[in-house]
Amino acid sequence: MNDRYSMRALALVTATAALVGCGKSDPPPFRLNMTNVVAKQIAPEHQQAIANILGAMFGTPDEPIALKETGLDQKKLDMAAGPVWSDKVGAKHGLYRRHCVHCHGISGDGRGPTAAVLNPYPRDYRMGVFKFKSTYTAAEPTNLDLTKTLHEGIPGTAMPSFALLPPDEVAALVEYVKYLSIRGQMERLLEDHASVELNAGDKFDPANDPAVQKLVMQDMLGPIMESWNGAKEQVINPEDASIPPDNRPAKELEASVKAGRELFYGTRANCVKCHGPTALGDGQQDDYDVWNKAINDFFKATDDKIGQIASLKTDLAKAQGDDATQIRQQIVDAQKEFNERHALLSSLLLPRNAIPRNLREGVFRGGRRPIDVFWRISSGIPGTPMPASGPAGEGAQGTLTQKEIWQIVDYVHSLPFEPASLPQKRPINASEVSTGE
Amino acid sequence: MKHFWALLFLLVPIFGVLTFVLAPYYNHSFPRDISENGRVIDQLFYFILYLTGVLFVATEGALFYFMWKYNGRTNREPVKYSHGSHTLEVVWTILPAVTLLFIAIYQMNAWADAKMRKPDIPVTAEITGRQFNWDVRYPGPDGILHTPDDIILVDGEIHFPAGEEILLSIKAADVLHSFFLPNIRMKQDVVPGMQQYMWFKCRESKAEVDIVCAELCGWGHYKMSGRATFEPRSEFNAWLAKKSAEQQAHRITQATP
Repeated sequence: MNDRYSMRALALVTATAALVGCGKSDPPPFRLNMTNVVAKQIAPEHQQAIANILGAMFGTPDEPIALKETGLDQKKLDMAAGPVWSDKVGAKHGLYRRHCVHCHGISGDGRGPTAAVLNPYPRDYRMGVFKFKSTYTAAEPTNLDLTKTLHEGIPGTAMPSFALLPPDEVAALVEYVKYLSIRGQMERLLEDHASVELNAGDKFDPANDPAVQKLVMQDMLGPIMESWNGAKEQVINPEDASIPPDNRPAKELEASVKAGRELFYGTRANCVKCHGPTALGDGQQDDYDVWNKAINDFFKATDDKIGQIASLKTDLAKAQGDDATQIRQQIVDAQKEFNERHALLSSLLLPRNAIPRNLREGVFRGGRRPIDVFWRISSGIPGTPMPASGPAGEGAQGTLTQKEIWQIVDYVHSLPFEPASLPQKRPINASEVSTGE
Repeated sequence: MKHFWALLFLLVPIFGVLTFVLAPYYNHSFPRDISENGRVIDQLFYFILYLTGVLFVATEGALFYFMWKYNGRTNREPVKYSHGSHTLEVVWTILPAVTLLFIAIYQMNAWADAKMRKPDIPVTAEITGRQFNWDVRYPGPDGILHTPDDIILVDGEIHFPAGEEILLSIKAADVLHSFFLPNIRMKQDVVPGMQQYMWFKCRESKAEVDIVCAELCGWGHYKMSGRATFEPRSEFNAWLAKKSAEQQAHRITQATP
């Protein structure tokens, strides 16, 4: 063995090992909502214009902009954004990338690398719809709601608790989630506008066009911010009179549970439609939540395109002259759209049905306190088929009164301890269950 | 350099021993032990460390000696064939086997204490590991688990009474996890569908230590952690009562996180 050869080999291996990892990679960019862009067939120049507008308004994942009109806190965004590093005093930066991005994605689209192996999928913030909050159905969550979700996690899902983070880091992450949500909602409005109002060749440049500037800032961003800023006023605060007293005697609790059971299996609340007469969640199972519905619609429309192209081709065979030219162009357009859709399919998460909760398990994703379950029943779960049984807004009338909702809350809390919920030796018989046996 | 490779290989035992000698000065030693019986585990560890350490230095030293003595660039003698030595083969099979047998028997009591001699006390808490969180269920005022007054907490903050024997029931909700308290020197793997037990006693009256997951459970395994707080029984009961009341909240409380 030649010593000099092996020395050089050793030197080469050591040098390679030492240099691996040197050099910085490019900062990750935000991505447009391609499902929406392709579905609405937005022209490339408009896509670029939208990306530019969003960039000017919100910045990049490394350098976010807290636009004055949004009222977001720049310092919190700076803590949460950017690459993961700790400064000299040990304060952590890049919190979103440290804790959230692998599930929720760099744009908050719920399509990080981990998302594909999770059930349920991580939240896509870009619709501005959040499931577990204390406000009326159509309103946004409050800061407290988002903080609670971070603090407790979501039991029954892969969202863990972040209670062990210091409160200022949690606050920074809440701010960044709002930022991504507002940005996503803004993107959606811009894309709607581009697909409906703009024609090919139209300019879309708020920086150089005051009318477009006003449209973007006042007519689009305005309502988004009104909704977010007004969330605090939309909190559902149950009336003291309806709230059951603390430390109720067992008889009173039993009576409330009985009343709740009747409401649960009754027609006004109609819980059994989805949760099933067994309360196992085996009622209606073929509906979708809004996030999966968007993906499912995309899949379906892509399939429909194949049929559309086929029928256009049959028409072409029968058509003459000008009609034929028109149909040929339609085929070209349809084929182009189909190709774009098809290219996107492999990057999408497969759509899943919204399966109603199995209430006998006693897992409450939005929180198990009576007030949490009250909020779920009263305002429903936005984005999902779970409807609101309480009023839709302040002063409105709901299907159920607050007292009735508290009775259902008591029943739901008792469900996991019903005899039918304990380990069974044989399959659950629906008739056995509805009598509470 | 003539003896380059011999000297390079000599660096292995030198750095190996230096790592262990210098570790305490760089704070890379064992976590603080707050348990009654953790000492036994540590003693076992050090026993095996010193035993293997001595053998390590001896074998590496022998390797260095032979590399130096029979270095091809300096030693021009013809190669001697030894055809092996049956006696040597038997000796260095029997001696390690006996040593291992000794270690196996030496640690049996420690293992039995930690894994087989379950104390006959009621379960203090049921801990469920799920991806990627530790959930805890306390029996509540009636002292029985899986009744409506259980206290269920999901934010990774788990309290235990200090100074008394604690029995935990450990479960996994989805995939393999392992409930590990480094400062108690106790860990227990759990397979979903199986229930395992873990028992220990904290000898300090107040401590806040880490809970970590010790069985790879997915992408979030590295951050599946919690915080275990040991406090006197009276404070523990007060904390339980507070959590029980919070769990019954019918009103909006600004105090919630």
